[in-house]
Amino acid sequence: MNAAWLPMTALATSLLVVVIIFALPEDARRLRTTINLAAAVVKIVLVALMVRRVAAGHEDIFSFQVVGGVDFVLRSDALGVMFAGLSSLLWLCTTVYAIGYLEGSANRKRFFGFFSLCVASTIGIALADNLFTFLVFYEMLTLSTYPLVVHKGTQQALNAGRVYLRYTLTAGVVLLLGAVLLYSLTGDQSFSSEEGLGDYLNDHRGLLTLIFALLVGGLAVKAAMVPLHGWLPRAMVAPAPVSALLHAVAVVKAGAFGILRVVYDLFGIELSVELGVITALAVAASITIIYGSLRAIAQEELKPRLAFSTISQVSYVILGIGLFGPFGTVGALAHLLHQGLMKVTLFFCAGNYAEELGIHRIDEMDGAGKRMPLTSIAFTIGAFGMIGLPPVAGFITKWYLGVGAIQAEMYWVVAVLVASSTLNAMYFLPIVHLLWFRSGPAHGKGSWPKEQRLGRFETHSWLLLPMMFTALVSLGAGLFAGLPFSPLDWAARVANGEYLP
Amino acid sequence: MIAFFDAMKPLEAMEMLLALCLTVAALVCLFDRHLLRACCFFVAFAAAMTLAWWRLEAPWLAAAELVLGVVLTGACFFYALGHVSPGVSSPLERDRFSEPWSRVAMRVALALAWFVMVGAAIRYVIADMAYSPSEHPLLLAGVVIAASALGAFALHRHLLRRLLAFNILGSGVFMLLAGVAGTSAAAQALISVGLLVAWLGTMLGALLIRQLLHLEGVEALGPDGKPKEGAK
Amino acid sequence: MIWRFGLFESTFEPLASTHWALLAALGLPLLLGMLAALFPPKRAWPVALASLPVLASGWMLLSAYDQAGLLRWQWEIAGVHLSLRLNGLSVLLLLMTQVIGVAAALYTPGYLRLSETGPLARWLWPLMGVVLSALSLIWLATDLLTLYAGLELMGLAAVGMLMLSGKVPALVAGMRYLLLALVGSLTYLLGVALILGHWGRLDLQGLADVVEPGPVAWFAAALIGAGLALKAALFPLHAWLTPVHENAWTPVSALHAALVIKASLFILLQLWSILLPETFYAPRVIAWLGLLAIVWGGLLAWRTDSLKTLVASSTVAQLGYLMVAFPLLLGPDIAPLPRALAWEGFWLQLMGHAFAKAAMFMAAGNLILATGESTLKGLAGTSRRLPLSLLVFGIASITLMGLPPSAGFTAKWMLLQAMIITQQWWAVAALLTGTLLTAAYVFRMFRYSFDETAPRHRYQPLAPGMDLIALTLALIAFALGLLAHFPLELMHGGSP
Repeated sequence: MNAAWLPMTALATSLLVVVIIFALPEDARRLRTTINLAAAVVKIVLVALMVRRVAAGHEDIFSFQVVGGVDFVLRSDALGVMFAGLSSLLWLCTTVYAIGYLEGSANRKRFFGFFSLCVASTIGIALADNLFTFLVFYEMLTLSTYPLVVHKGTQQALNAGRVYLRYTLTAGVVLLLGAVLLYSLTGDQSFSSEEGLGDYLNDHRGLLTLIFALLVGGLAVKAAMVPLHGWLPRAMVAPAPVSALLHAVAVVKAGAFGILRVVYDLFGIELSVELGVITALAVAASITIIYGSLRAIAQEELKPRLAFSTISQVSYVILGIGLFGPFGTVGALAHLLHQGLMKVTLFFCAGNYAEELGIHRIDEMDGAGKRMPLTSIAFTIGAFGMIGLPPVAGFITKWYLGVGAIQAEMYWVVAVLVASSTLNAMYFLPIVHLLWFRSGPAHGKGSWPKEQRLGRFETHSWLLLPMMFTALVSLGAGLFAGLPFSPLDWAARVANGEYLP
Repeated sequence: MIAFFDAMKPLEAMEMLLALCLTVAALVCLFDRHLLRACCFFVAFAAAMTLAWWRLEAPWLAAAELVLGVVLTGACFFYALGHVSPGVSSPLERDRFSEPWSRVAMRVALALAWFVMVGAAIRYVIADMAYSPSEHPLLLAGVVIAASALGAFALHRHLLRRLLAFNILGSGVFMLLAGVAGTSAAAQALISVGLLVAWLGTMLGALLIRQLLHLEGVEALGPDGKPKEGAK
Repeated sequence: MIWRFGLFESTFEPLASTHWALLAALGLPLLLGMLAALFPPKRAWPVALASLPVLASGWMLLSAYDQAGLLRWQWEIAGVHLSLRLNGLSVLLLLMTQVIGVAAALYTPGYLRLSETGPLARWLWPLMGVVLSALSLIWLATDLLTLYAGLELMGLAAVGMLMLSGKVPALVAGMRYLLLALVGSLTYLLGVALILGHWGRLDLQGLADVVEPGPVAWFAAALIGAGLALKAALFPLHAWLTPVHENAWTPVSALHAALVIKASLFILLQLWSILLPETFYAPRVIAWLGLLAIVWGGLLAWRTDSLKTLVASSTVAQLGYLMVAFPLLLGPDIAPLPRALAWEGFWLQLMGHAFAKAAMFMAAGNLILATGESTLKGLAGTSRRLPLSLLVFGIASITLMGLPPSAGFTAKWMLLQAMIITQQWWAVAALLTGTLLTAAYVFRMFRYSFDETAPRHRYQPLAPGMDLIALTLALIAFALGLLAHFPLELMHGGSP
C-alpha cells in the first residue's frame, strides 16, 4: 500500500504555514505563535508516522512528471526519514526558542515566514528521491536562508549575506551543471534504484569522475568543507536561532546529507571506491577537521568559536563516508543526528548568555555557572559531547568512526580522530573551566557587559526549555544508544540497507 | 549598348523624366537645410511617386499614394513644422549640423554597408526581377533614392529630418519591392500596408515633435535630444 | 522544424463556434479598448468584467484545439491569400498574451488613479487594445502580409503607449524607438520583397515547400533578421530599450517587455526555420551575440542605479538565453532529442520570462509609486514597509535567475541538457554565467531593501489589488516550473 499523501503532507504542512504566516498581519503575534507551534507538532507526528511505516518496510512515493524525462519524486526511505526527523524535532525546539528570542523585535513576520520556508526546504531535501527534486529544495534552502542571515539589516549582516550568496549560488551553479551532466548521461536516476551507475563505468569513467567532483564540490560549499567554508563564520551575525538552525539542521547538514545521498544512493559505495574518489573525500574531510579545530582555538568570541567547531564537526560525517565499511557509515549517519543535537544546544546556550548577560567574548564568561546554572550545565553537556567524552552522544560516533577506520585499515584516520579530539578539548575545556571554576560578576567581582532579567528563572523560560530539552536528548542519545529507534539504531538500519543487498 | 538605346523608346522618355524628378526631389528633400523647403519637396516627391505608380500600372497604389502620401503624410509634416494654422511663425526653420567628423564617417560607413548588402541582394535576384533596372529607370531611381535616404537617415540627428528620411526611404523600398516582385495583388497589398504604416508612423512622429517643441523648445530636436553646448 | 509551427494541412474544419471564438480573440481587445477610451474605467471591476469574454474566447480556442488538433482558416481578398492557423504553440502564446494583457489592464485603473498621469491617460486603453489584438494576430498568422500588418500595428501602438507619460526623456527615447522600428520594418519589407519576387508567394506553408537554400534565401533571411532583431531588442540592437522603459508607465512597460518584443522574436524564429532550415552559421552568429547579450545586459543591470533600468536591462540579458538556443533549433545535424528539448526549453523560457518580467515591472512600479523614489538607494528599508511588493519582485527574480522551482529553472535545465548532448560547452558556460550575473544584480537590489539603518520615508499607500495582480503573474511564472508538463504537452500534439 502506497500512502502517497504522507510525504506530500509532510512537505505541504510547512509550505502552508509559510503562506499563512505571510498572509497574517505583522501584529498577529499570538495567532502566528500558535500556528507555528501547531504546525511543528503536526510535522513531528507526520514524520513519526513515516518512521513507523519505513520501519514496517513501506516506502511511500509521491511523484508527478515535470517535463519529459524529469520527474518530481518524494519518497520516504530510511535515510531521508532520519534527516526529516532531525529537522522536524529541532524545528520545534528552534521555533520555541526563536519566539522567546525575538520577543518585541521588528520584522517577525518575515523572520518566521522564511524560517518555516527554510524548514520546508529541509524536509523536501530529506524526502527528495532524485537529483532534480533534491536540487529544487536545495536551492530553495539557499534563497530562504538569505533573509534570515541579513535579518538585522546592519551593514555587517548585509555583507555577510552577500558573501553567503556568493558561495552558495556559485555552488548551486556547479551543482546544476553536475546534475544536468548526469541526467544527459543516464536519464532520470532514482536514489532508490538498486543498479547504481556501475553500467557506465567502463565507457564513461572520466565523465563520472567529473560529475562526482561537480556534485560533491557543489555540496561541499554548504557542508563548509575547507577551502569552501568562508561564508559560515561570517554568517554568525545572524540572530542566535538562525545560527542554531544553520549549523545544526538546515544548511550545513543539507550539504552533508547531499554528499551522503550522492555517494550512497546515486553512485553507490562500490562505484565510488572504484572511481577512487572516496579516499580523496576522506583526506579533504580530515584536513577540514584539523583546520576547523585549529581556527576555533584562535577565536576569542563564543559564536565564531562554535562556528569553526561546526566546520570541523560536520566533516566527521564526510570522514565516515570515506571509511569504506559499515562501521564508518554508522558513525557518519549517527553523527549527522548527534552533532545536530549537540550543536543546537551549544548555540542556544550562546544565545542565552548573550541575551541575559550580554556576553559575546569568551573572557567575559568568568563564573557564569553560578548566575546561569542550567544554561551552563547544558553547555557543559554539549561541549563534552563535542569532545567525545562518554556518555554524551558524541562519544558514540567517535567510537564507531575509530572502529571503522581500524577495520578499513586506514590508521591515519585514527590519528586524525585523536588529534581532533585533543584540539576539541583544547578549545572547549577552557570555557567550561571559566564557567565553573573562576569567580566573576556572580561572585561580586566586576559586572556583566549588559545584564537583563528576562524571566523568573535564570532567563526567559522560552529560551531555557528548548535548550534543556536538546541537552537532555543529546545525553539520552548517548546513554540509550542501544534502544530501538535511537539515532544509532536507525543509523545502523540505514547502513544495513546500504551494505546488505 | 545597342540594346540599351533600343530600350530608350520615346515612350520611355517620360519615365526617364519621372525618375529624374523623383531623384532630384528626394535629394533636395533629404539634404536641404531649410526645413520648410524640404517638406515642400517631399510633397512634390510624393506626387511624382503617384505618377510613377500609375506608370507601373498600379492604379490602386497610385490612389493610395495620393491620399496617404501626398495629402495625409504631407499634412503631418506641415503640422510638425507648425504651418497648419496660418499667421503663426514656426520656430523650426533650419537645422544645424555640428557633428564631429568621426561620427559622421561611422554613420556613412554603416549606411554604405547596408547599401552594399541591399545591392548585392538585388544583384543576386536580378534574373527574377519583374522590371529590370536597365529597362526601367524608375527602378534605378528607387535604388538611388533608397541608398541616399539611408545615408541621410544615418547622418542626420534632427528628428524631423530623420522622419523625412524615413519616408523617402520607405518610398524607395516600395519602388524596389515593385521592381523585384512586380505589381501583383500581393505586392500591392504589401505596399499599401507599408504606406499606411508610414503615414501612421509619421503622424505619431509629428505629434511627438510638436510635443517636444512645446515642452523643451527647438533644442530638444538636436542630437539625441541633448541641448548642444555653446549653441546659443 | 516546420511542423512544430503547425505549417501543414489540418484534418478538421473549425466549427462555427470556433469561428466566433477566433473573431472574439482577435477583435475584442481592440473593441474594448475603444470603449474604454470613451468611458475610461475608474475601478478594476469593470475591467475584470470586460475581460471575461476575452479570456473565454481563449479558453474556447484551447478546447477547440484540444478536440480537433491543428485548425486553419484561409481567405482570399482581392487576389491576396490570407491564412491563420491554430496549433499548440499559438494557443499557448495566445493564452499567455490574454492573461498578461488582462493583468496589465486590471492593474491600470489603480495605477492611473495614484500617479498623476494627465489628460493623455484615456488613450492608453485603445492602444493597449491594439497591441493585444495585433499580438493575437501575430501568433496565428501564417502569411507574410498578415504578419507584416500585425507587426506594424503592434509596433506603432507600442510606441504610442510608451510615450504617453509625456516626459521629455520619454518622448526623445520614444522618437528614437519609433524611427528605428520603422526602419526595421522597411528592412523586413525588403526581405519580404525578395521572397515574393523569387518564389512569388507569401503564405508560409507554401513557402516551406518551395524554398531552397541559396543566396536569395540568405539575403531575405538576413534582411528580415536584421529588421526583427531591431524590434526585438536583440543584442547589439538593444540600446533603445532601456531609455524607453525608464519613463514609461508601469502597465505599458509590463506589456512591452513581456509580450511585444517576444512577438518579433517569434516571427524571426518562424521565418528563419523556413528560410534557413539547414544553415550552419546564421544561428551560431545569433548565439554568439546572445552570449554577449547575457554578459552585457547583466553588467548593465548590475551597474545601474535606477530600478527600472535594472529591470529593462535584464530583458536584454534574458533574451540572450533565447538567442543562445538558436543553434539547437535551426541548423543541420541536430538529433531529435536535443532539438525537442531545446524547442520546449525555448518556449518555456520565453513564457516564464514573459510572466516574470511583467510581474517584476509591476512590482518595481509599485515600489517606485509607494516610495516616490526610482533609485535603488531609495529602496532602503522597504522590506519592512512594502513586504508584498518586495516578495513579488523576489518571486519574479527567482524565475529570471533560473533557480528552482520556477519556469526559468526548468527551461534552463532543458536547454542545458540539449546543449550538453550536442556538446556546445560555450553555450553551457553562457547560461551558467547568466545565472550568476542575474543573481548579482537582483540581490544588489535586495541588499538595499533589507537595509534597516536607513531613515524612514513616508509611503504612499497602494490601491488594493495592485500587488495581488503582480503576485498572481509571478506565481504563474513560478508554477510553470514544476507544472511545465501541461503547457508543453500542448505543443507536442498535432504533429502530422
